Amino acid sequence: MANLDAADTTFRPKPNLPPPPNTVGAVGWMRKNLFSSVLNTLLTLGAMWLILSVAYTLFDWGVLKAVWVAENRRECLDRSPDGACWAGVIHWFNTFMYGRYPYAEQWRPNLGLVILILWMLPCWLPRVTGKIGIALSAVIIFPFLAGYLFAGGEKGLILQILVSAGIVTFITIWLHVLSCLLTGRSLPVHILGITGFTDKDDRLHKYPLIGAFGLALIVVLILQSGWEPPEVGTNLWGGLFLTLVISGVGITTALPSGVLLALGRRSRMPIIRVSCIAFIELFRSVPLITILFMAVTMMPLFLPETVTLNRLVQVIIAVCLFAAAYMAEIVRGGLQAIPKGQYEAAQSMGLNYWKMMALVVMPQALKLMIPNIVGNFIGLFKDTTLVSIIGLYDLLLMLKAVSQNPQWNGLYLEPFMFGTFVFFIFCFAMSTYSQHLERTLGSGQVRR
Amino acid sequence: MSVDEMNVAASQIKSQVQNEVVIELVNVNKWFGEFHVLKDINLSVYKGERIVICGPSGSGKSTLIRCINRLEEHQKGDILVNGVTLDSNLKNIDAIRGDVGMVFQSFNLFPHLTVLENCTLAPIWVKNTSKREAEETAMHYLTRVKIPEQAAKYPGQLSGGQQQRVAIARSLCMNPSIMLFDEPTSALDPEMISEVLDVMVGLAESGMTMIVVTHEMGFANKVADRIIFMDQGEIVEQNVPAEFFGNPKSERTKLFLSQILNH
Repeated sequence: MANLDAADTTFRPKPNLPPPPNTVGAVGWMRKNLFSSVLNTLLTLGAMWLILSVAYTLFDWGVLKAVWVAENRRECLDRSPDGACWAGVIHWFNTFMYGRYPYAEQWRPNLGLVILILWMLPCWLPRVTGKIGIALSAVIIFPFLAGYLFAGGEKGLILQILVSAGIVTFITIWLHVLSCLLTGRSLPVHILGITGFTDKDDRLHKYPLIGAFGLALIVVLILQSGWEPPEVGTNLWGGLFLTLVISGVGITTALPSGVLLALGRRSRMPIIRVSCIAFIELFRSVPLITILFMAVTMMPLFLPETVTLNRLVQVIIAVCLFAAAYMAEIVRGGLQAIPKGQYEAAQSMGLNYWKMMALVVMPQALKLMIPNIVGNFIGLFKDTTLVSIIGLYDLLLMLKAVSQNPQWNGLYLEPFMFGTFVFFIFCFAMSTYSQHLERTLGSGQVRR
Repeated sequence: MSVDEMNVAASQIKSQVQNEVVIELVNVNKWFGEFHVLKDINLSVYKGERIVICGPSGSGKSTLIRCINRLEEHQKGDILVNGVTLDSNLKNIDAIRGDVGMVFQSFNLFPHLTVLENCTLAPIWVKNTSKREAEETAMHYLTRVKIPEQAAKYPGQLSGGQQQRVAIARSLCMNPSIMLFDEPTSALDPEMISEVLDVMVGLAESGMTMIVVTHEMGFANKVADRIIFMDQGEIVEQNVPAEFFGNPKSERTKLFLSQILNH
């Protein structure tokens, strides 16, 4: 070190130079990934030609030469023989959405959808408490309200109570949400404050809350008793509306029943375990279409003749059973990924089986299962098109029925293109949301 | 070790601690399938006593303490904890688990919950403590294990030593009268062992009844009232630390001690 003078020992970092040209940015990326060799360049050009020609053909057919307004298919063909006849899709759009549901009553499915969206919306709002309760009520109580809204007709006492409970729950949720957003305190806190129970023992707190709910229930029960929308038979339900009803019920029941079946399959009690295994294996080993046929044609044979079943109900039950069996295996897979130590830690602190499962095991397992669960939901959503084979006019059968109409005879392609688009929108939305969930739920919880 | 010597040792131990038995094992036997893992274990633990169990791996020491809160089921003999017999009665098991804390080799913190939520989960859901009260207790014990500032983090963001201290705090939040430690430092990097042992020494000094399975002989020598040496599912020798290390009776103990102390 002795021969080094002071100037040399002082460390001066070299200045940062820009990278060589054509290695960064768009040009750099293209050089590296698309044109790195002769073969790569040829493949790139070939692929580009293929993509552009397909895109152009589609654009030419679907937009440039398309007919948007026409009375029937003949008129379409006369105007533009090589163009798409979107006029047919527009003409039948309402049928694709609602099937043969009477036009004057179509506000009912629309209202049902709006209520569902409003019901679930608080789960995505900040500062709202009790989100699990809101989501659960949407799964448990909303179907009765929606089911009656769609079907209408006379309602017995039990249905009266269920519908009223649905209305009261919906109002309660939004009062609670507004209370959380505006005052930062939950609705129960306000009710306790008004009734003067705030300072009393915690165990007494439930009484004013139950009382308030019961009072509201009675008021709504009296008010809604005159409300009786005309009956719309389920044979008139169809189109995307029917597809959403079947897959919606299937999807919402699949997860809870799948969880129960998976727990049953891992149970130590032999009768429960064996019956769960039998159920799962039976329904997983049989194609959905077979189960649907069994449900519609065979089930009435086993029932007394006085019992008449609704075909839609039979189909929904079949779909639910099928979906539950598949979901059970997904949940079981997720449960197996949870280390034994998690169970032991929960047990050693005195948590009983259900608390251990609900608080420790399931939250972790469900997070691992999100991709599989959503994949299953997407599959189920698409599988519901099979109900068209047993004569339910879901979206697929509606699309197909157009071609048999004398006015629009032979119009296959455009309705199916439209159907493809609709299915893509729903499935892609589910897929994107699942990726979003994976990212947000996984943050900050690195497993070691 | 002859019967006389056993009795002498036992009377020495008894004189040091309060004379109240909190854990009693009588002729406990356990099998894993065909493998006889615990053979006629007899053990009385007195209130406030600190016991260290050591022995080669596979000797049944972990299984023994896991039987005490029934993470493992014994097939023969009786285990009484605070006078309650452990059998298939689920109520008894839950009662005992609420009063016996356990710390594991692999921490077993709940990765989906924050440190604070890990500590308040059982008090809220098992003991029906209010959330505020549970959080106060949790912060008290997190302060005691010297990591109150980590309360809002997730376990995955902490070091191994910190995680194990959280695990100890989590057990203490249930306000147990007995603590079981199953090799609490075996999964830790060497520089983190002392921070966990320090917490355990503090706990021992506060008069907690503790049963610790460990290979940390320095810790055993410092805090144990009694050291139990196990091999092949049996208690080979038990004695106060000075006698155990200075004057081991059986050849097996001497061999074990020479193996773990001479390197």
